[in-house]
Amino acid sequence: MTEQAEWLHTQIKTLASQQAQFTDRAFWVALDKLIAEQDRRHDQLQGEVDGRTWRPDRW
Amino acid sequence: MKTLVLVSHPQLADSTSQQFLKASLPVKNVTWEHLESQGTFDVAREQSQLRQADRIILQFPLYWYAAPAGLKQWEDSVLTRTFVYGDHRFPLTDKELGIVVTTGMPEKAFQRGGAEGLTLDAALAPLAAVAERAHMRWLPTFPIYQFSYLEEPEKLQLVVDYQRYLTQEQPDGLEQRQAWFAHRLPAMIDQLPPEQQATGRLIQAEFEQQKDDIEALADTLAMIKEQEDD
Repeated sequence: MTEQAEWLHTQIKTLASQQAQFTDRAFWVALDKLIAEQDRRHDQLQGEVDGRTWRPDRW
Repeated sequence: MKTLVLVSHPQLADSTSQQFLKASLPVKNVTWEHLESQGTFDVAREQSQLRQADRIILQFPLYWYAAPAGLKQWEDSVLTRTFVYGDHRFPLTDKELGIVVTTGMPEKAFQRGGAEGLTLDAALAPLAAVAERAHMRWLPTFPIYQFSYLEEPEKLQLVVDYQRYLTQEQPDGLEQRQAWFAHRLPAMIDQLPPEQQATGRLIQAEFEQQKDDIEALADTLAMIKEQEDD
């Protein structure tokens, strides 16, 4: 996890814990998980772009 | 999108899972109805509700590998042959049919060789056949196994997974999940106490940025793949 992702995760966790309604807390906790999924997808896509761009046969 | 939730449960007030799901309902565009509390069905009213809905959810506990008798009574009264397909108008065409089913046994029981010996899809085959006959689109089932054993983190997750099952576009991919959250975020931020709203907006900005970055990367990748094909 990058420093920024970790910081964001802490922000959401804190916000979630401050919600009195169970369903409101659920929303922020689920958003936190979705953002972690975004991070993973971002890394995978970036990795694939890098991998496909690295073409030694075209050097 | 309009969603109609039809709940079948003979003792609704005693069911902690059904009460939990009722408390988790999204505030907008969802109609909730308990079948057993109706006595006799107002067939015209029920059919009109079905016509108006885009997504229809049948929600019930699994009793002997099927829905409770109340749902079958509703089917037999409301889903008349003429209404569903008899006059060749197929009023339910392309509406989505989703099943929220609670079970007393764990997930691993529902497989060949498991304690129950059959999959939920197999048990729900008659309902899937109705959907097909009506030209509806069958959604992947939403099972809730052993609700009473769920811990708080799992219950928190269940609230949002259930809300998404009722109102999120299908299929359930990252793009659809992002769109669902993006749509709800402004209202969620508005209802935060004033001192928390800045944090809410900051989270929203980061989330939107990440969403845009993923889209841009996916576009780049599509372009690279296209060139590779040439």
